[in-house]
Amino acid sequence: MPVTIRYHAVSVVSQPVKVNSMDRESTRIEVDIIACDGQGYCAELLPERITLDEWGYPIVRDTPLTSELMDDANRAVRTCPVNALSIHRATR
Amino acid sequence: MTLGIPVRNPYPGAPSRSATEPGPFVRLESRILAGPPSRDVAEPLDLHVRRIGSCPVGGPSITLAIDKSGLTGRGGAAFPAARKWRAIADQDHGGAVVVVNAHEGEPASRKDRTLLALRPHLVLDGAVVAAESIGATEVIVYTADTYTEVREALRRAITERRDSGYSTMPITVVAAAHGYVAGEASAAVHKLNGGRATPVRIRPRESGVHGRPTLVHNAETLAHVALIARAGPAWFRQVGTPEVPGTGLVTVGGAVHSPGTVVEAPLGSTAAELVQAAGGWTLRPHAILFGGYGGVWLRAADVWNSPLGGGGGPWVSATPACGILIVIPEGSCGFAEAAGVMSHLARVTAGNCGPCVHGLRAMAETTTRVVNGGGTRDDVRRLHELVDTVRGRGGCGHPDGAINQLVSALVTFAPHVDDHIRNGRCEGMRTPSYLPSRGWL
Repeated sequence: MPVTIRYHAVSVVSQPVKVNSMDRESTRIEVDIIACDGQGYCAELLPERITLDEWGYPIVRDTPLTSELMDDANRAVRTCPVNALSIHRATR
Repeated sequence: MTLGIPVRNPYPGAPSRSATEPGPFVRLESRILAGPPSRDVAEPLDLHVRRIGSCPVGGPSITLAIDKSGLTGRGGAAFPAARKWRAIADQDHGGAVVVVNAHEGEPASRKDRTLLALRPHLVLDGAVVAAESIGATEVIVYTADTYTEVREALRRAITERRDSGYSTMPITVVAAAHGYVAGEASAAVHKLNGGRATPVRIRPRESGVHGRPTLVHNAETLAHVALIARAGPAWFRQVGTPEVPGTGLVTVGGAVHSPGTVVEAPLGSTAAELVQAAGGWTLRPHAILFGGYGGVWLRAADVWNSPLGGGGGPWVSATPACGILIVIPEGSCGFAEAAGVMSHLARVTAGNCGPCVHGLRAMAETTTRVVNGGGTRDDVRRLHELVDTVRGRGGCGHPDGAINQLVSALVTFAPHVDDHIRNGRCEGMRTPSYLPSRGWL
């Protein structure tokens, strides 16, 4: 059965995340595409990192979040109706 | 339903055996299918032990042997088996679980159900020795409700092991409704936890069945484990190639004399050797689909006498795929077959992830339109655009497998795709389909 789940070496951060200059490079927003139902709020709240495909599902840029974007990113995480967004800090 | 090519009888004249029965098998190298030649009876425990001896007890030395053997997973992803074991053994909390994945949702494959129906004790030995080696306390065999022969063979085998005192490891069998994505490792764990048999966002190795660390191995992988535990890694490496050692099971189908034959062959065998083992071709081969519905289309003339695999994984380098080889003959439309596969894959998504559900459907509709003569060059561009949009965005590997298949079809059948755009449906679509989209008939 040729199907495998892909994983990322990350730890989930559930509290609102503050970014300092030390770990800015490794903090990203991620979508749980299995949970996502394509309502699209995230792309409105964080257009710098999230756009929507032709069916309304988020395409997330792999660029790390900057400190200026953290408020918007946290708001996007809180706003998602199905809790499909999270902010991840790479462990390495 | 507008998707797809009508399903035609894939095997006119083929012997009518149910899709769930063990297939005919051929041994180019006799290892995990060694033993009685019957294709109808499971080998009982006493014969199994008399033939190859009882299984050693698992432990660090077995893990080391598996590591040295170079054994990789045979479910498709070709992940090194020993690395999975260590990841679980290194965890402190113990009480791990071994799941034998014998769901075999891939329509063109019958290797695992054949292996389990005929050599259940070999697979169970492998599961038990793996469990002992990683500190697991339980083995669960995950199969499909339609595999009557497999379930019966397992029921008897488990009774024999318990009644004879051969092994005290608890073994249970769980059957899910048969389905393509139901065989994915996280889908198996989700089902065993009482959920639907669809992929979920978990890491079975850390928190799998009932939150316990869970080792999920394809059934064939564990059969190899049972032999390596007895005979050692040097023996295992005597056949195959240095990169992909050992033997593997391949289901050979399409335009061959005995479609659905399960062949045990050294890894790195050629298409010519595998097809010969299934009785040879019935019509001159034009293309092969290698690796199953998530595999790749290759021109027969390009690869016929080359070792399959040899790179990253068993059989196909860099392509997660299991041992399946289907021959599409000259005079038959390979691109129509690819459209049929695409439609099938679009129908059998778990229904979870938007990019997969919508993307595969759009790919299937567009491919089918081109095959039926309603397509333009823009449709081919559209297919590449869809591929770029969807690739890597599934919760599991299903969309990426479908994309592999589609992109390789667009390359392999490129001149013929142009014919379809210019002239519409082709003569090759009059022949029966060689692909069993509903399991082997």
